[in-house]
Amino acid sequence: MFHWLEKHPFFFAVAVFVTIAFAGLIEILPNFAEASRPVIGTKPYSTLELAGRHVYIKNSCNACHSQLVRPFKSETDRYGHYSLSGEYAYDRPFLWGSKRTGPDLMRVGNYRTTDWHENHMKDPSGVVPGSIMPAYTWMFKNTADIDTAYAEQITVNKVFNTPYNQELPMADGTKATVKMAATLDEAHADALAEAKVIAADMKDQDVKDAVEAGQIPEIVALIAYLNSLK
Amino acid sequence: MNKTILAAIAFVLLMAGATYLAVGGAGGMGGEGDWVNKLAVLGAVVLFIVTTFVVTKYVRQMQNDRAGGKLADENWDGIGEFKNELPFGWAVIFLGLTIWAIWYFLAGYPVNAYSQIGEYNEEVAAHDAKFEAQYANMDDATLKEMGGSVFIVQCAPCHGLQADGMDGKAANLNHRLEEKSIKHVIQNGSNNQILGMEMPMPDRNGLMNANTGALITDAEIDAVTKYVAGGLKGTEGADVFAGVCAACHGPDGKGMDMVAPSIAEFNPTLIANVLKHGKKGAIGQMPAFNNLTEVQVKALGAYVTSLSK
Repeated sequence: MFHWLEKHPFFFAVAVFVTIAFAGLIEILPNFAEASRPVIGTKPYSTLELAGRHVYIKNSCNACHSQLVRPFKSETDRYGHYSLSGEYAYDRPFLWGSKRTGPDLMRVGNYRTTDWHENHMKDPSGVVPGSIMPAYTWMFKNTADIDTAYAEQITVNKVFNTPYNQELPMADGTKATVKMAATLDEAHADALAEAKVIAADMKDQDVKDAVEAGQIPEIVALIAYLNSLK
Repeated sequence: MNKTILAAIAFVLLMAGATYLAVGGAGGMGGEGDWVNKLAVLGAVVLFIVTTFVVTKYVRQMQNDRAGGKLADENWDGIGEFKNELPFGWAVIFLGLTIWAIWYFLAGYPVNAYSQIGEYNEEVAAHDAKFEAQYANMDDATLKEMGGSVFIVQCAPCHGLQADGMDGKAANLNHRLEEKSIKHVIQNGSNNQILGMEMPMPDRNGLMNANTGALITDAEIDAVTKYVAGGLKGTEGADVFAGVCAACHGPDGKGMDMVAPSIAEFNPTLIANVLKHGKKGAIGQMPAFNNLTEVQVKALGAYVTSLSK
């Protein structure tokens, strides 16, 4: 067979490709599949959190803030455990970022709270002296796009099998379920219920009034997203 | 004699002579007994001779040798290949590499492979060991200084560099309690695990004034709030404090083990518990800080306690 291959350059090239590709498959694919499996404790985003993620992307937060804690002592001391690839399983797209003008936000939900975010987004340098981050006051007025967030939920659920409405194991041994609504109206109601919990911890009266009236300002969605980053 | 060999001998003599001249002739060869120059010339001569005769051998081989042996079946556009035996040296190298590869796959790579996380773990272990050795027996001043530096990184983003809470955005740590917080706790109760466990304080509907035998009133709340915020000094509100709060928080407000935390002053245990569990009160929610080491928590306790003294 080898003598035959030596006389047929085209099939020889095919055989070389098949051999190397096979080696690549068994070397790369199992590791890749293992590493990209969701880490225990990783949950898909709820409707409101997804809307907040869209606000995050829309305002290019990822241009200044990374979401990737590297395995260095100096980083893990400041931000918490280094990032694992499985933690991005439900991030579409991931928001690693490539430049840190501001701090990393991979686990910001562990050490910042709703009221802090509210103060900070209104007047960053009032909370962090010397901060060069601009204020994002329009987020307190603009309304979050729940329709798109719900559409994304349905899409990732259908196309990528993202496990909504399923019990997922958490790090502490409990189970958690992230709900995906059956209808758009239900999705709006769910997001509003979630927004009310966040607005209760906020001080801005306009935001509270808007949520009371059934509107969800972008800031509420963004805070829901930031609080979910753990 | 063959022309090639004659040319070779002439080349050796020429180069040897050139080397001799290059080191400076007889003078250079060691009027002073310079043995380095002699060695260099000797080495050069040996090199020329060896090189020349090796080259000559192969040149002659190319001139005289004729191809022979059995041809392999394949030929490519008329170019064929002899079925030569595998050279012995190649066979040895091949076998040696095979043995090395078996070792490398089974032991060499798995045991010694580089991993980023492995390097990280080593870095952390080395740093922790150094940290422990350096701060094994800290005096109070060093502890406070360490607490101050941890504070700047972990606490200052909310409590401010001066620990003043930045205009009410977080608790002012230069005072144990402010009026806003005291009032909020009396009105709403509290369950912040400040003692390290669940020990809820009732809201105003569960706070009896032992002096009057009735629930605490608005006026009494105002009075006792001012009294506690003022550091439990003076007389106004003192009777309410004695009648309502002292039962759990103690007559001096310093708290009781397993019953109630100190509301007169900060102490390291209280701070450690707040860091461990976080808390929620009048101002907002403080998250738990569980990534701090024990020593860092102790240092923060010492530092924050010292702020209000």
